[in-house]
Amino acid sequence: MRIACPFCGERENGEFTYLGDASPERPNFAVDGRESPDRVEDAFYDYVYLRDNVAGVMREYWYHGGGCRSWLVAERNTVTHEFISVTAAPGAGAASAVRAGE
Amino acid sequence: MAEFSWNTQSPLESALVPGHHGVTGTQVGVTLEEVRDISLVQVMTRRGRAAGTAKAAKKVFGIEPPTSPSAAMGRHATLIWSGPDQFIAVSAQSAEDQFAKLSEAFAGAASLSDQSDGRCLIRIGGPRVRQALAKFCSLDLDDRAFPPGAAATTSIDHTAMNIWRGADSTDGHAIFNMLVLTSFADSLWHTILDSALEYGVQASLAHAA
Repeated sequence: MRIACPFCGERENGEFTYLGDASPERPNFAVDGRESPDRVEDAFYDYVYLRDNVAGVMREYWYHGGGCRSWLVAERNTVTHEFISVTAAPGAGAASAVRAGE
Repeated sequence: MAEFSWNTQSPLESALVPGHHGVTGTQVGVTLEEVRDISLVQVMTRRGRAAGTAKAAKKVFGIEPPTSPSAAMGRHATLIWSGPDQFIAVSAQSAEDQFAKLSEAFAGAASLSDQSDGRCLIRIGGPRVRQALAKFCSLDLDDRAFPPGAAATTSIDHTAMNIWRGADSTDGHAIFNMLVLTSFADSLWHTILDSALEYGVQASLAHAA
């Protein structure tokens, strides 16, 4: 399996660490908690513990620790292991991704 | 009480044995050298200060830092891309305090970290250099994929590494520079040496100029 880092180019997967589903969004306690604390508690339970077991394309966090040390978001097909896209994770620090060779 | 004497010494002090290694005879397929007396500064741009960092680099080195995996020759230093918004400046160690000079030039725009004694620079070349490297490096080092000036931040033999290709040697062979953390230098040196023995290795020691 090879992963195309948007900064470094294509590398073997051993350089990367898998974190998990990139889809869950952290509930905003300061905003939502004021209205209904129970709903926020449920939302946090979901955010921390519950994960979908997707057979198909999912968005995942990957860390290029053996390379440029950037956090990435990849769309990967969990059935075929095909990577559809790899982009820099928002807020990971880099201003913009420059593709290798450009 | 035990007495300690603090000496500056290369991490390859015992591993590097200058001379010919491997196949009998004088055949040299791979040249392997450690480059000592380097000055090495890691420069990391602060958030939103890429333009200021580039401007400061231009002023100090005469060139802007690379924004993609490559190495650029500047005034007295080579700037090597090491990740988004960061690069390494490699130069020969000089008598004056270069780090202080750079800190002043990049103040406010980038954070600097002196890595001069933290990394070891190994240079590998020769007619069989790619065959030797292919045994433990997963990068495509062919001319088309990795021409002179190309650089990569990668892992080689599970060791974090900055590798870049300098100008070819006078006899036309590719030369690869590898920056490795000092604590891994000894083990990597043995990996490289063992991988290259069948081609004949000429090991030596060089000083940054």
